[in-house]
Amino acid sequence: MHKISANRKRLLTFILLGWALLLIGDRVGEFRQYQGSFVAMYALAIASIILLTGYSGQLSLGHSALMAVGAYAGALSINNLHLHPVIALIIAALVAGIFGLILGIAAARLSGPYLAGTTLALAISLPTIANQFTILGGEQGVAFDIGTPPARYGEDFSQYKWFFWISSLAALIMIWMVANLMHSKFGRVFIALRDNQTAAQLAGINVGRQKAVAFGLSAGVAGLAGGLLVMLISGVSPSAFPLSLSFSLLTGAVVTGVYDLKGVMLGGLVLVAIPEIADSVGSRVGGSDGFTIALPGFLVSALLILAVLFLPNGPGKLLKKKM
Amino acid sequence: MLRFITAILTSLSAGAIYALMSTALVLVWRSTRVINFAQAGQAVLTTYIGYEITIRTGSYWYGLMAAILSGALIGAMIDRFFLRPIFKRVKSGPIVMIAPVVATLGLLGIIQAIIGFIWGLNYQALAAPVSTDGYKILGTVIAFSPFNLMVLLSVTITMVLLTVLFQKTNIGLALRASAYSPEIAKLSGIKVDAVRTLGWAIAGAAGGLAGMLYVPDSYLHPNSMDVLLVFGFIAAVIGGLDSLFGAVAGAMILGFAINFAATYISYKIVFPTAFVILILVLLVKPGGIFSSSKGRKD
Repeated sequence: MHKISANRKRLLTFILLGWALLLIGDRVGEFRQYQGSFVAMYALAIASIILLTGYSGQLSLGHSALMAVGAYAGALSINNLHLHPVIALIIAALVAGIFGLILGIAAARLSGPYLAGTTLALAISLPTIANQFTILGGEQGVAFDIGTPPARYGEDFSQYKWFFWISSLAALIMIWMVANLMHSKFGRVFIALRDNQTAAQLAGINVGRQKAVAFGLSAGVAGLAGGLLVMLISGVSPSAFPLSLSFSLLTGAVVTGVYDLKGVMLGGLVLVAIPEIADSVGSRVGGSDGFTIALPGFLVSALLILAVLFLPNGPGKLLKKKM
Repeated sequence: MLRFITAILTSLSAGAIYALMSTALVLVWRSTRVINFAQAGQAVLTTYIGYEITIRTGSYWYGLMAAILSGALIGAMIDRFFLRPIFKRVKSGPIVMIAPVVATLGLLGIIQAIIGFIWGLNYQALAAPVSTDGYKILGTVIAFSPFNLMVLLSVTITMVLLTVLFQKTNIGLALRASAYSPEIAKLSGIKVDAVRTLGWAIAGAAGGLAGMLYVPDSYLHPNSMDVLLVFGFIAAVIGGLDSLFGAVAGAMILGFAINFAATYISYKIVFPTAFVILILVLLVKPGGIFSSSKGRKD
């Protein structure tokens, strides 16, 4: 009985959150709507990291590559198979999920640093592979066109608001599903894996299989985020998925507390805010081009280290301790 | 036939550079149990220092010396003033598992950004001290130059020196003992912390050398060593992460595999080949081909 009410409460929270976003979307300008879509996309991508690292205890530096897999799958299903954009986004999640599951079978046998190195190799090598197939469009990439908003929403309904709606709705639904899953048997199994593998095994958990499942699920979520990302920039190319994207996601996850899904919105906000802060600092200081371009990377990395040092269990835990 | 010989020679000189990176990774792994992802940043930062000295003095050799020395210094400082405090601070909770990886990654990002602040993000060229034009054999120019020969010789000398250091000196004994069993080494009066910092210094110097040998045939950019980090990691995994001999052998195996794939199939499959080798080794022999069975198992 108690569990059902917890699930209902969560659903209610997400519906309220969606309603609030709807209201916010109506009241802000196009630029903020566009930024809001990025916040939602990053929040979703960070949720995929938290699902993998925070719950199942596996560290991935290859999520930029998994996002790319989803993005290319989505783009190809729109361009070559002429599927509906919504179906294309679902395909993005599915293809990335299957790819992640296969990768997860290999990853399940690796511990900490090996897994980090292998996924790092994936993040660096996968975009270069994308360069070599003509169907993937090489360095130029391929277009990803979600289409204009339906006419029934009226003439005033801008493309950016449309982006914001799709991005927020997709993120809300997916994060809600992940949150439910993490409060189910799956989540408990993953936490058991993370905290004590031997004990989990003794409790009858198939460690290898569950780790692969976690990797697949996380990859699916990342794939959807990848699809949203290329929707926002209207096209998918290898350069949209640099290694620094993986680092940013990791930073977002650590900053919001890698063991808790609640902070993902904050993480998304931080990732969107950093380039803007860097921009304004850069123009105020009036440094060289190199300074302005390198500043976001500096801030992301510094934040990552500071978060590990001072907020090892996330800001949530810190507040709880204070109270 | 000529193609075959050229492929062997280029494999050797490419493998030699991977060997420096994998040796650096293995040295740090043995002393600290951390895969030092910042190695790419350290190496490229010291290469920038070497580049600056080369330009100011007009001599590549001064630049090389500066790169190696600053590499050692930076490596030691990172261990002493960055990682050790982090290990001291982050002791409990599940974050312990990911803290070292996350810390070295953050450091990589910071180093690359600082390079951007100082030198900008443009591609720079570093002139080699000897010709980078390929040798001419029977009227055809092959893809192996006097500079590649120099790379091969310098790495061979470095490896011989490292072997002597590790096998014939007291410092080497301390390094090996601390890697094998830090507790027992401490009980025998070895200053394990200092030895550990020394391991980082040697690794940093190897990274500086790798950068100065790699960049003249390539270009200098904050990210130019990222690929070497990946190849060095793969080579280290092939060799079992724990063994210096394994690191060199793994680098040679990788060098041959990807250069032969590039020569006989297509340069496009260099990365896929490397990645497939990594996955195969991890699935078939996760302990590496040359890992010693007596080493620490964690």
